[in-house]
Amino acid sequence: MLLLLIPWMSYIYVRDMKSFLLSGQEDALSLTSRAVATVLHDRPELFTQDTKIESGEADVENEIYAYPLPNYINLDGDLSDWGEQAKQAALYVPPKPSVNSVQEQNTDSSDFGVTDQESLSNQPSLAEIPADQDLQVRHLLGYRGQFIYSLFTVKDKYVTFRQSGFLRVDAADHIRVTLKDPSGQEKRYTLIAREPGRMSIYLMDKEWQYPITGDPNYDLAAELSLTDLGYNVELRIPRFMLSSDTGVQLSVANVDDVDTLAVNAIVSTTPKNDEDLSRVLVRAPEISKILAGLDRADTRIWVIDRQKQPRAVVGKIITDVDVYQRDKPEISDDFFGYYLDLIRYYYNFALRKVFSYIVDRPNHGFEDYEQTIEERNDQIIEQALAGEISNDRRPSLDNQATILMSAHPIFSGDNTIGAVVVEQSTNQVLQRQQSVLENVISVTLLVLLTVVGAILLFASRLTLRIRRLRNATDNAIDKDGRIINQRLSADARSGDEIGDLSRSVSNMLERLSQYTKYLRGLPDTLAHEVSNPLNVVNSSLHNLAQENPNVANSKYLERATNGVNRIGSILRNLTEAANLEQALQAETKEVFDIVELIGNYVDGYSISNPDQKFDIVVHASPLQVKAAPDYIAQVLDKLVDNAIDFAAPDTAIIFKAQRLDKFAQIDVINQGSRLPEGMSERIFEPLVSLGRKDAQKSRLGMGLYVVKLIANFHGGDVIARNLSSSDGVIFSISLPLYNPDPINY
Amino acid sequence: MARKVAIVEDDFDQRENYADALKQSGYEVATYSNRQEALEGMQKDMPDLAILDIMLEHEMDGGFDLCRDLRALSPTLPIIFLTARDTDIDRVSGLRLDAWDYLTKPLNMQFLSVRINSLFRIVDSLGKSNTEAAESERLVIDELSIDADSMSIRWQGQELSLTLTEFWLIESMARHPGHVKTYDNMMQITRQSYVERNTINGYIRRIRNKFKEIDPDFKNIQTVFGVGYKWNTND
Repeated sequence: MLLLLIPWMSYIYVRDMKSFLLSGQEDALSLTSRAVATVLHDRPELFTQDTKIESGEADVENEIYAYPLPNYINLDGDLSDWGEQAKQAALYVPPKPSVNSVQEQNTDSSDFGVTDQESLSNQPSLAEIPADQDLQVRHLLGYRGQFIYSLFTVKDKYVTFRQSGFLRVDAADHIRVTLKDPSGQEKRYTLIAREPGRMSIYLMDKEWQYPITGDPNYDLAAELSLTDLGYNVELRIPRFMLSSDTGVQLSVANVDDVDTLAVNAIVSTTPKNDEDLSRVLVRAPEISKILAGLDRADTRIWVIDRQKQPRAVVGKIITDVDVYQRDKPEISDDFFGYYLDLIRYYYNFALRKVFSYIVDRPNHGFEDYEQTIEERNDQIIEQALAGEISNDRRPSLDNQATILMSAHPIFSGDNTIGAVVVEQSTNQVLQRQQSVLENVISVTLLVLLTVVGAILLFASRLTLRIRRLRNATDNAIDKDGRIINQRLSADARSGDEIGDLSRSVSNMLERLSQYTKYLRGLPDTLAHEVSNPLNVVNSSLHNLAQENPNVANSKYLERATNGVNRIGSILRNLTEAANLEQALQAETKEVFDIVELIGNYVDGYSISNPDQKFDIVVHASPLQVKAAPDYIAQVLDKLVDNAIDFAAPDTAIIFKAQRLDKFAQIDVINQGSRLPEGMSERIFEPLVSLGRKDAQKSRLGMGLYVVKLIANFHGGDVIARNLSSSDGVIFSISLPLYNPDPINY
Repeated sequence: MARKVAIVEDDFDQRENYADALKQSGYEVATYSNRQEALEGMQKDMPDLAILDIMLEHEMDGGFDLCRDLRALSPTLPIIFLTARDTDIDRVSGLRLDAWDYLTKPLNMQFLSVRINSLFRIVDSLGKSNTEAAESERLVIDELSIDADSMSIRWQGQELSLTLTEFWLIESMARHPGHVKTYDNMMQITRQSYVERNTINGYIRRIRNKFKEIDPDFKNIQTVFGVGYKWNTND
């Protein structure tokens, strides 16, 4: 249980570490903001008007980005100076004809510098000429220095130039530029060319039909060059014409039919919006240049001017959290390695499942405003602009991650000219927290598993040893309670508690066996001790009779002699069992038929006791056993004596001989009283007697004990039980058969 | 001249009772209560027969040791062990020391006298000349030869080392070959106070073993189960 504290403490620790890391990160952020601010200190020129052309519009849809360009662009049709940015060009295709037709209604107009023919011929073209599906426009905005450049790559099957002698400026392929200054005044320019090369630019009326002045505009410059698929147009717009509030619309008008010279498609390359024109977003180049060095993958740095307009943005905060995912291993030749990998894979997989419930996982992608700052909690920006350093945390706008913000004012002299806002997501901290927690948990889990495994191993080993010890203890004493082994071999040599237990059980057994030995020797010792005084009595009686002839004839002397004889008989009985065990060891066994022996025995017995009746029932014959016949006869003696003692008068003692598997079983059955409850086992113990019929006859209870000793010595056993059918007792002695043949049924 | 019997017994009552009984029977009696005393006394005045207890005061096997010492003094001295110890080991130990008989307590005094008488008869017969010995009564059945005077038995010409009891048992069986000697008969023959069937079995077992030492194929003593034993002739 204590082990579970480890992951818990780790969890607490990791949580603390998280807050510590976050505050560390905050510090780092504030340091970053301060560093950036320091760089920008006293450089008010960075915030001057001419660079302030960034859009503050919240409407993301309506913005168009200008990319910083590596070079100044020569308007020569050579696109190499656009560098890599040329690839950023977005593709535009003409709208569907239905839309087209609406658009092109604008082209339906009166004649300003355009011949009637052209004007007339314009009309029918609307319905007849299908939209040119081949027309494709790629457009790119870029900036460099004081200029904004625009590149149009037009794929056009039929490139139509302005016809010589034609004054109308919408009767050829041309570019339309619309600029709308903050006051709402719109200016329209058309770019048109008579031949590849420098294009003519006119300020146009509302209907795009007539130039207002007819004089070319020289603020703008454009160059057209032909390509295999169409033509390219490079356009240069000075920055003063494009402030951050200036709306802009660029579109390509296409004319294919040389005869009608009608506009059949207009492709707008700016987000189309009838109300507002698109804004161009250009980052302040100087600031961006400075910040470029600070560009980090996981940090976004804003430079904000006094009007809270962003002047520059560097970096992004959507960090890619690289979650290491172990791949399911391929089956390989290296079997062991493969399974190891497989185990690792599933281990990892399982761990991740677990972790996802414990810690916040870093988000791979979360939504946040990329370019605007308006809707944020701008409190810290205000504080920064007021000259204070401030930090804040906020959720990302989709609440998927926490973002740390730090703002630092930028001073110019004593004035605040702007602020630096640095943002960073907490993903990294979360990532780190998670990896630490993962490590801790996986290590803990491993440790736990190892410990549990070790405990299991230890426990099962203990169980095994205890079981072994128990078996050894069980086997140390046989079913008759005799001690077979005094020394337990199980764990006797181990140094721990089980070893101690084993040794103390051994000790106990040893003491017990000594005690048993003493008890077994007791009758012998007793007999020996009683013999001497008995001998005194005996010899004294004899001498008394010799000395005094009157006494010799006394009945009392006779009784005394009888008593002494009985005591002597008891002593012989007591020592018999003890002597028997020694005698048995010396005895030689022979093979004989026990059925025949029973027959002889009963014959002989009947000679000396003709009154006693016997029945012999033989179920199997012969029954060869290897035994000492004298002792088997002695067993029969004891059993018959016993049976006669308890037999009802005038009943026969029944012998029954049968074969039970590999044993010969001899039953000695007498009718008469039953064994008391629980005596059938105890009756074979020494000095256990059931009482007696003849008071003159001593019953020490050694007879059946001797029977059991002899039976056990021959590898057999003896049991006693009551007859089930009638009153009476059956003693069954079983002896192993000599070379038993398999039984044939 | 009265025969002189030495009694070595640490129990005063028994010692004096034996002494009285033997004196009654006409023997001269010397009594000793421990081994040291007995050895010194008998060295000075050698008795004609010695009755020894095995446990003498503190010496568990004092009787055996004394027997060994006496045997060194006189190789022909009849020695009887009279003891409460009744194990085969003790019997074998005693007879191995050339004791003539091994009796267990309690013992009937009459039987003691009978035995002592018998032993003196053996001593007498051993003292006779060879010619006289040849004349003595001899019972021969097959390979068994019984000399009643010297109470010695030979099997296949070799003499068996027997106790009195064993001699009497063999003799009683061999006198009537083929007849069953019942346990009851045999109990009388042993001339001991308390004899069980098992005691008889023990005697027969020891007797058989002695024959088998000479002749491993000996099987002339047959058990009649439940009754007793009989001597079988070779026929």
